[in-house]
Amino acid sequence: MIDYVVSTLTLGAIWCVFTYALNVTWGWTGQLDLAVFMFVALGAYVYSVVCGPPANAALGITWILGLRLPFFVGLLAAMVVTGLVGLLVGGIALRRLRDDYFAITTVVTTLTVYAVIAQFQPLFNGFTGIYGVPQPLAAFLNLPPTLYGIFLFGYVLVVLAIVIAVMYAIFHSPYGRRMRAVREDEKAAAAFGRDVYAVKLQAYVIAAVVAGLGGALMGAFLTAFNSYAWQVGETFLIYAAIFVGGSGSIRGVLLGTFFIAVLVQEVTRLLVVIPGNAYAGDALRYMIVGLLIIAVLWWRPQGLIPEPRDHDDATRLPEPGPAPSAVQHG
Amino acid sequence: MQDLLLGVGFGLVTASIIALSTVALSLQYSVSNIPNFAHGELMTVGAYAALVAQNAHGNVLVQAFAAALMGGIVAFGMNYLVIQPFTRRGARNIVLFILTLAISLVVQNGVLLIFGGANVGYQLSQGAPQQVGPFLFTIENEVIIVAAVVIMVAVHVLLQYTKFGKAQRAISDSRELARITGINAERVIQLTWLVDGMIAGFAGFTLGASVGSLSPTIGSSFLLVIFAAAIVGGIGKIHGAMAGALLIGVAMEVSALYVPAEYKEVVAFALLIATLLLRPQGLFSAERVVVR
Repeated sequence: MIDYVVSTLTLGAIWCVFTYALNVTWGWTGQLDLAVFMFVALGAYVYSVVCGPPANAALGITWILGLRLPFFVGLLAAMVVTGLVGLLVGGIALRRLRDDYFAITTVVTTLTVYAVIAQFQPLFNGFTGIYGVPQPLAAFLNLPPTLYGIFLFGYVLVVLAIVIAVMYAIFHSPYGRRMRAVREDEKAAAAFGRDVYAVKLQAYVIAAVVAGLGGALMGAFLTAFNSYAWQVGETFLIYAAIFVGGSGSIRGVLLGTFFIAVLVQEVTRLLVVIPGNAYAGDALRYMIVGLLIIAVLWWRPQGLIPEPRDHDDATRLPEPGPAPSAVQHG
Repeated sequence: MQDLLLGVGFGLVTASIIALSTVALSLQYSVSNIPNFAHGELMTVGAYAALVAQNAHGNVLVQAFAAALMGGIVAFGMNYLVIQPFTRRGARNIVLFILTLAISLVVQNGVLLIFGGANVGYQLSQGAPQQVGPFLFTIENEVIIVAAVVIMVAVHVLLQYTKFGKAQRAISDSRELARITGINAERVIQLTWLVDGMIAGFAGFTLGASVGSLSPTIGSSFLLVIFAAAIVGGIGKIHGAMAGALLIGVAMEVSALYVPAEYKEVVAFALLIATLLLRPQGLFSAERVVVR
């Protein structure tokens, strides 16, 4: 029981990292990015080949690298690779495409990468994927499984806390306001001298890096990763989490993710015991998610915990010299 | 050379199925301006309706009709129950797009819930392929190609020569102007979704017959290929949609001769991305609509 609770919470915390990634693109800059889970998967693959054992070509198992490096190197490598891929994809797709065409391009990119990873065996062992990845510090700590599970949960929480701290820093920085300005009105932002393309591309790369970090955590948690572990459909779960919680809202995203990725997920998973229909759990989960998205957009488009609005005093402009402002501060 | 001709022959069949679905998508996209990500599900429900009709001992015509009817009902319902209320509220286009994603989740998993996830066999006849000119076609293949041509001509007539088609074209140019000139835009859009769904449902029937088995993702796995055809041809251009479908269908099947068949779709996606980057208005259109 405790193992189940801890592993469910760990997975929920990992999903929060994914949602924070999407919150930068969709929540703050309004890009309908449907490639989030591709970056998650790339992060998991890169982590697995950097920290995992080498493949065994004699048995027909092939993947690149297999360096058995410590976990932090894997995290770093995952972030660097996904950041570079994000720069490439965003750099091309954001250049001049309208919102809906941008979204279509990101889906198509994901499907293409999916096909290549699943079919091209030398890279990540095709459909079978990578396995036998050691868990962070497992050999060093040498704990019993339950205790190690709790340690892993703590490790994921530390990473999540860092991600949240970075998100708050971005949100309240001038750059965060620039992103939201682009979201609200691209033309106005451009008129005020903002380079809309640069702002969007930076946001896209940040999101890719964060998603890659989440993917690396996922790879460490699962100790194996293959193409069954990710599909385009997973991206919709992240969107649902953001809509329910509140697009752009850091606290809302946390709530939404636990609602969708833990509550809805686990409740429908238990439904699998309905005799005679092995698909009922999956089918109901996604139907609920779809209906939830529609319901939230209709009744509460700002989400359960809306994004806090910017206040004039948050900018802390220096007092204008000759004509003191009549507007009261605070 | 023989292989190439065979590839082109398969390409014509694939292209016919894609063309049907693409014309439907393009029609709806140009009139309502929403990229419908639940379009694949229209094909899926059509295919399953045909299966149900077959199990009830309906003949081929009944099956085709059931597919079109079901596709039409579901498409009409999507618009009437979800899209239209949001449009009335003035929802942004991107929100409408997200709604179609949500609808796709609901419909696809509804099919999964009812019919299960396993592949279900769906065969029209077991006729051996015959030589037609340079190509090898089964009876199904021939029916699909002929039906596609007939429906294309019907859509062309509908758009060019009827009042409804004129209203559709007016709305796709500017909904506001159309409304000012007394066109009941909402009504025309409703009917467009209905027609879109009927054609897409029928396309699902042809897809099922051509594949030989059904699964709940049969339509959605084809979705991006259809978007590729629509965008390569130029959104809203019916002739472009046909040409795009032909190009994509033949390119996919012929490529399978040279690269592993698993990369067929990647070929379509490559054409899509190349079109968006180099000629976003589509190969067969003069307007520039995609660029911000």
